[in-house]
Amino acid sequence: MLSSRYLAIFFCCTLFWLLPFTVYADDLATEVIDAEITLQKDHYVLAADIAYQLSKKATIALQSGVPLYWSLQIKLLQHRPYLWNKTLLKTDIHYRLQYQALLNVYRVQNLSNGETYNFSTLYAALDLMSEIQDFPLIEKSKISPEEDYLCALKVKFDRGLLPVPLRSIAYIDKQWYLSSDWTLWPLKK
Amino acid sequence: MAFEKVKLPFSLFTLILFGLILLSLQLMSSATQESSELSALYSWLLLINGLGSVVLLSLVGVNIYTLIQHTKKREAGSRLTRRMVSLFVVLALAPAVIVFYFSMQFLHQGIDSWFNVEIDRALEDALELSQSSLDQRMRWHLKQTQQLTEKLQDSSENRVALDMENLRELSGASEMTLFSRQGRIIASSSINLGDILPSLPDKNIWLQLRQNGEYVAVAPAHEEKLMVRAIAKVNTQEPQYLQALYPVPVRVYDLADSVEFAFVRYKEMKFLRHSLKITFTLALSLVLLMSLLAAIWVAFISIRNIIAPVKQLVKGTQAVASGHYDEPLPVIAQDDLGFLVESFNEMMNRIAMARDETRIAGFEVENQRAYLETILANLTAGVISFDASYNIRTANQAAYRIFHIHVNHFIGRQLLDLINDRSELAEPLKSIQRLLEQAEDIWQQRIAFLGPNGRQELLCRGTPLYSQEGLRVGGVVVFDDVTDLIQAQKNAAWGEVARRLAHEIKNPLTPIQLSAERLQHKLADKLEPADAEILQRSTRTIVHQVEAMKEMVDDFSEYAKPSKKETVDIDLSRLVKEILALYTLKSGVKFKTDYEAGILTVNGDPISLRQVLHNLIKNALEAIDSEGLIEISLHHVQKNNTDFIELALYDNGTGIKEDQIETIFEPYVTTKTKGTGLGLAIVKKIIEDHGGAIWVDISRKVGAGFIIQLPACHSEQQ
Repeated sequence: MLSSRYLAIFFCCTLFWLLPFTVYADDLATEVIDAEITLQKDHYVLAADIAYQLSKKATIALQSGVPLYWSLQIKLLQHRPYLWNKTLLKTDIHYRLQYQALLNVYRVQNLSNGETYNFSTLYAALDLMSEIQDFPLIEKSKISPEEDYLCALKVKFDRGLLPVPLRSIAYIDKQWYLSSDWTLWPLKK
Repeated sequence: MAFEKVKLPFSLFTLILFGLILLSLQLMSSATQESSELSALYSWLLLINGLGSVVLLSLVGVNIYTLIQHTKKREAGSRLTRRMVSLFVVLALAPAVIVFYFSMQFLHQGIDSWFNVEIDRALEDALELSQSSLDQRMRWHLKQTQQLTEKLQDSSENRVALDMENLRELSGASEMTLFSRQGRIIASSSINLGDILPSLPDKNIWLQLRQNGEYVAVAPAHEEKLMVRAIAKVNTQEPQYLQALYPVPVRVYDLADSVEFAFVRYKEMKFLRHSLKITFTLALSLVLLMSLLAAIWVAFISIRNIIAPVKQLVKGTQAVASGHYDEPLPVIAQDDLGFLVESFNEMMNRIAMARDETRIAGFEVENQRAYLETILANLTAGVISFDASYNIRTANQAAYRIFHIHVNHFIGRQLLDLINDRSELAEPLKSIQRLLEQAEDIWQQRIAFLGPNGRQELLCRGTPLYSQEGLRVGGVVVFDDVTDLIQAQKNAAWGEVARRLAHEIKNPLTPIQLSAERLQHKLADKLEPADAEILQRSTRTIVHQVEAMKEMVDDFSEYAKPSKKETVDIDLSRLVKEILALYTLKSGVKFKTDYEAGILTVNGDPISLRQVLHNLIKNALEAIDSEGLIEISLHHVQKNNTDFIELALYDNGTGIKEDQIETIFEPYVTTKTKGTGLGLAIVKKIIEDHGGAIWVDISRKVGAGFIIQLPACHSEQQ
């Protein structure tokens, strides 16, 4: 009797502790607004529009010189009726966003190709990351007309690359839950 | 000196686990350093340590739960374990918490001390200075570019490229480009001849340009350099824009970069101050928690190992308490506790032996007691023992036979309580009680009382009982019923008297009688009639008296001779009927008889028994008048496991005086005016010679009553 009462109290405390995180769950998440796969010549290319959102804590951290990292994860999946989906393509685009105090600019760096861009406003910097144009997915010849294909897109905020003191907090603070969910689009042939 | 193998109270597994915990904590501690290679693994290490804590917490929880359950069940050693664990936790927790508290204090104060307002302001000022320096440079380059645009205003399209080359070299710009309003490159010049495509302004720059007509900014360039991008409007017919890129000197760039790095680093640290405290607190708490949990867990294991022999001892003690001495405890270790267990086993063995010996001795004592009790029970003498308060402690069967009271029912009560039912015992028992309390040594006394079977004479011998310390702890009284013995002595004496009387008196009687008759015969004729009359009267008197004396002597002779001469089986009822028939014819007395159905046979001398009945009936007839009633009954009775025929004879005559009841059966005791007084004495002698008993029924209040009991003769015995 005694132990079951303690268990109930423990369970209630855990729920109470988790309550604040559930409230903020959807407010801060990055969202994939739109994505489109089109055929250009003999390649299928991806165009997507992403709405990045920064929490108050993330913005303060950025302006305090903490670099923030995102990975844009792209997958091309072949749908199989009785099995799990087969991954045909899996690629990541890594972005690094940092504030430059001396020049008062936000620097976006595409770590995948090494390109660097400077913006005087945060909005402009996020805008650069939010737009994907003509990203080559797969050759047309590799796509079978009988099969169904899906394109999966996710923006992952990389908490593991935050400074060590911030890292443990980032895992338990919803203000640092800045990743999007997986968004799936069918490939129109 | 032999080296003993030191055995740790915990296993190798525990040691390895403890080592892994320490390693994990060390790795996590290293990972908290930003520069460490382990920093990438920080989250994993944190997770592993967290899981480790949960596992340890579960282990400790399970141990605590088990301990609580054991304590509730009051299992052996559980309370000692609880006390030791509590003590250990308090001893371990107190210093750890103190160290933790002060560590946290130092940590927080240390982190706070890194930051202060002066450094903060100095770094901001330094950055502002750097920015001002760059601003000044930008403004100067913009002004320079504006001046250059004036020079280009007049240049024709053909010459503009050449002029721009010259101007670029003059101004020190690294690249110079002329754009049309739409952004088309009109002309371009670069310090690097290889650069085909000039650096193009982006959308934002164009936006500002269209709004302000000029633009200047410092922008990062390739190879970690800074350059000033200055764009000014060229006032021509078709508005054009001149973009000049001026490199920032390396020294200036390095200084600005250094200031920025320091500023950013400081600002980042300032921002992370709170997180840093949390992280260190978390790490420290985790270290403390894991250390404590591991220590408590190991404490549980160690204490359990230490307690194990104690637990066994407790179980062993409980077994001994409940009387089990047969299972020796296993000796786990050859240490002090092992020695204790061995000693305990030895003690248990000895207790078992002592118990067995006690049990055997108990059996022997019990057998002895039963033996003595049997002897006591079968003694003819009555034995009553008393405790220190003179309450009856034991009484044997013979005591009942003597007193006709169940003395056993009075155990724990005073001797005088026996008087309640038997008032005739009052005086004898009081004297015994007095002797019992006062006599210091063995005493002896004869007491007499009137029992239900007549007068009883007892010889009492008593002795006080003393303990080894000399204290009086009670007493024992032995009663011997000497009634029969005394009676036999009396009978023997009377028999001897009778025999002598018969012998000494009867012999001269016949010469006396003959002499008297001879005198009468010889002298009667010779004397005067008067004298002859006297002689005749005297002679007759002599002869009558001699006859009377002869009868008396015959009676004595009869009394002295054995009464049981020839024995045959006699049906008493028939005998009684025959004798009554004689009396019924003679007198008008009524006889009332009551014979029990069945055979009422005794073995005896019929002549003697007839005499008994004659004597008794004669006595009864003499006691009653002619209208009297004599009742005779015959019954079977059982007494002391022996069958008796009881003959009761009652009359409604004058009865027997109370003071004569005790002596009525003795010779020369009579209530009648004539008679020798030997009638009842002879009756008693004959009955006793036949193994029977006769007594006066004192419960009879009208007339006299005699009860005769004779051993019954069974037909099987015939």
